[in-house]
Amino acid sequence: MSDEITIWEQPVSRRGFVAGATAAALAAAGLGRLGGDAFAATGAANAGGTLFYYNWAQYVNPKTYAAFEKATGIKVKKGFYDSNETLHAKLKGGARGYDLVCPTGYMTKVLIAEKRLQALDWSQLKNVTKNVDPKFHNTADDPKSTYSVVKDWGTTGFMYRTDKIKERPTSWKEFVALTKKYSKTVMVDSSPEVVGSIATMLGYSYNTDNQEELDEVKKVLLDLKPHIVALHSSNYDTLIAKGKAWMGLGWNGDGLALAAKVPAQYVVAKEGGEIWIDYYNIPEGASNPDAAHAWIDFVYQPKINGLETSYTYYGSPLKRSLLKGTAAGKLLTDKVVFPPAATVKKLETNQVTAKGTRLRERIWTEFKAS
Amino acid sequence: MASTEAEATEHRRGDTRAGAGGPRYPGWLALPAVTWYLLFFLVPLGFIAVTSFGEVVGFSDVAYTWTLDNYRYLWDDFFGDFHLYRDIYFETFKLSVIGTLSTLVIGFPLAYYIARYAKHKTLLLLLVIVPFWTSFLIRAYAWLIILDPEFPVFRALGISGFVESHELLFTPKAVYIGVAYNYLPLMVLPLYAALERIDWSLVEAAQDLGDPPWRAFRRITLPLALPGVLAGSLLVFIPLTGEYIIPVILGGNKTFYAGNLIAQQFLESRDWPLGSALAMVVIGALTIALLVYARALGRQEQHS
Repeated sequence: MSDEITIWEQPVSRRGFVAGATAAALAAAGLGRLGGDAFAATGAANAGGTLFYYNWAQYVNPKTYAAFEKATGIKVKKGFYDSNETLHAKLKGGARGYDLVCPTGYMTKVLIAEKRLQALDWSQLKNVTKNVDPKFHNTADDPKSTYSVVKDWGTTGFMYRTDKIKERPTSWKEFVALTKKYSKTVMVDSSPEVVGSIATMLGYSYNTDNQEELDEVKKVLLDLKPHIVALHSSNYDTLIAKGKAWMGLGWNGDGLALAAKVPAQYVVAKEGGEIWIDYYNIPEGASNPDAAHAWIDFVYQPKINGLETSYTYYGSPLKRSLLKGTAAGKLLTDKVVFPPAATVKKLETNQVTAKGTRLRERIWTEFKAS
Repeated sequence: MASTEAEATEHRRGDTRAGAGGPRYPGWLALPAVTWYLLFFLVPLGFIAVTSFGEVVGFSDVAYTWTLDNYRYLWDDFFGDFHLYRDIYFETFKLSVIGTLSTLVIGFPLAYYIARYAKHKTLLLLLVIVPFWTSFLIRAYAWLIILDPEFPVFRALGISGFVESHELLFTPKAVYIGVAYNYLPLMVLPLYAALERIDWSLVEAAQDLGDPPWRAFRRITLPLALPGVLAGSLLVFIPLTGEYIIPVILGGNKTFYAGNLIAQQFLESRDWPLGSALAMVVIGALTIALLVYARALGRQEQHS
């Protein structure tokens, strides 16, 4: 269980210099930092040591790890989670020492509110300032980009095997009908995506917290349950690739990666769905924030970022012109990676309220237990 | 004669309790174990108990308000018309009982054979233990391959179609198979320990005196093996009530047991108080079951 890695207090390296904005955040974590100071103060350019990168599985091009280690001398230690909630539980449970995490916008917002993140030192992030499309700065999740840099963005829809399924579904309604027809559907193990998507099918908001509307969603889901093969966030696409399942509710990058292996198509449903942004965050209690800054800055070189996009198939926040001629060059016109504005307009970000979360978790439990 | 022997046994046991039976060890040797339990069992248990009377405020913070809401919520669920959690607990109980019985049925003949007939006892025992050298997770994942109709062995045997028509993977059946496999050593070892101590001439004597084998088994072997049966059953049953990983891997994460339910409250729903209350219900039920068990055992010892 790779996501079970919990680390206790580790020798904490201090930043070479502390920007005014970070001072307060650092003070908050002061107690944790009084521990061993085995490493000498280092600058970002050559931070050395180890970067503990806690991330979604298959979310970094393996080539990037190698290039980063070669360029900076920083070793990358990896841990993986398969839901934002798992990441949150780890950080809340007191796990310390993760240097870099990549939650989705709604979770970044929570982590900021709960003071679990360190303010970024923008002086160490020159490539980000230079190369990122300004519209990805100061997003609604972090209005002043104090704690976060956009890693990439994508959509939640569905994918299907074009060789196994004759139909060419374009809507959630058809997705549901074909699920009942073939009983070969997998879904990500995540209630916001599944409940929200069905809500949009019924014409409601992706974020509805209305009891009656959610009751309707529940009815649809309980109806679908006997036709579901499995609920897995990290290997649902593998199950489709192997032919154990023919359709999947999931993320666009996985859909494209699938289409690269077998005949498959990813669809943003007509009724709508989710658009999400994943951010780079540095948690409080990070052992080596310098290394985290070094990583973020490293991957915002156009060449490296193109490498990332060509591997994850998720939208890059870089200025488009910079991606031309990189490994991601030929993806720039791909409507799955970079959906057209008309498509994006139909989509919502995850903004489920606390009340909605409670109602949805109960539905999710019923769905799984039925 | 029988009564004197019983008295002698009683006497001896009394002696042992007084500590005169063997070399005396100073009491402080128990300190590390006691400290360990105190720090890593009782204290966390206390945390869970206290948290179960709390409530969630904001996104995920716990306020310790000494509310009974979580238990009231569960009470309403258990005894109301709409019983989601009761059903999940019932499924968990079923899994634990069937899991225990299946390891017993599969494990008993094996332990019996090793204890009574096998030439290479150590080697066979080693084979029982060897799976423990691999991670629990890897063993569970291995079954993903074995239960797959495309498994090369099924292909070679030409029964892929048969396996496919009896869909196993990602069903409760797969969970039961995984449980029986993973917990088997926990049953076999105590059974072996009990059976190995049996003086088989007693069984032979019973048979010589006219008992058919099955009756000799029921009257001699089974009672003597009973401590092993009970120990093995406890070792399998108790962890099974919290089983969580096998349903995720082999059940396709769409079969739900108490372990999954509790994990969901902590990991996904961010509702630690409800998760704690759910855990306390399991702990409470187990405690009651164990007390009943201990009393039954006590009564049985008095009888023998």
